Amino acid sequence: MNLSEIKELFIRSLDAKASTEDIPGKLEENGVYFNFKPGFSDKVLEIIFSTGVVVKREAEFVKNLNNAFYRIALTGVAAIIVLLISIFLMEGSLSFNSFLGLNDPAGEDIVCLLTGI
Amino acid sequence: MVKGSYRRIGEDELVRASIGGDKLAFDEIVTRYQGMVARTVKGMIGDSVFSEDIGQEVFIKLFYSLPEFRGEAKLSTYIQKIAVNLTLNEIKRRKRFFSMFSQKGNSEMHEFEVVDYDTEEKKDAAEIVGKALKSLDPKFRVIVMMRMLQGYSTKETAEILDLPLGTVLSRLSRAQEQLKDILKKL
Repeated sequence: MNLSEIKELFIRSLDAKASTEDIPGKLEENGVYFNFKPGFSDKVLEIIFSTGVVVKREAEFVKNLNNAFYRIALTGVAAIIVLLISIFLMEGSLSFNSFLGLNDPAGEDIVCLLTGI
Repeated sequence: MVKGSYRRIGEDELVRASIGGDKLAFDEIVTRYQGMVARTVKGMIGDSVFSEDIGQEVFIKLFYSLPEFRGEAKLSTYIQKIAVNLTLNEIKRRKRFFSMFSQKGNSEMHEFEVVDYDTEEKKDAAEIVGKALKSLDPKFRVIVMMRMLQGYSTKETAEILDLPLGTVLSRLSRAQEQLKDILKKL
């Protein structure tokens, strides 16, 4: 195919009524082709699926953090319950003063507490 | 499954498998459509490092948008739309960039593939196509690319570019006029 034929193909491709299905094939036969470099698909897959690994690792980290949080929270609740039971057993009530250790204080104890003597 | 084992599998199944994270299924999609994407991207902006990047971006975007693909249009049309949009965005970005640093506001980097052609005639053909595409206004270039490099009908061109058919037809006739002038000089 000579250059004037290539130019004709160009002009024909812009004719709205003309069929253009055969033009890409003819151009390829004449050395007009466009391709990505070898290994293109491997690069694309590497980008997509290595990002996937990062996302997966992040998700695992968040899951582990959640599990750790629940364990710490449960331990805390258990400690609070034990503390409440011990206060109730020692002080006989669960009033605010019992929590502060001020339930039914003797006068001498307060003097000792404030003066340190 | 090994690489290439999806060669005879239909598009729908490839899409479903890719959504499920099947690497080989998506590899088959990339293999099937990379030529089409290369024609779109390199036909529009030439062969540069950017064209490879845009090509990769097209398939990355495709992978993450596959769950939204409802199969109403062909997968090739869907990919073509992504490729055209990303390439036009790159052209706009370049225009902005060059207008900041150059007085020629609309100059673009547009290089064509350097291939070892077996005959001088083939080299000339590639060069003439490259030069003519480069000289066209981007809004005409995209239409020439769709018609000449991809072989789409005017209706398909309008559908992919999200343009009314009348607009495509008027751009075709204006592009033809512009192209006749350009080809005379080549």
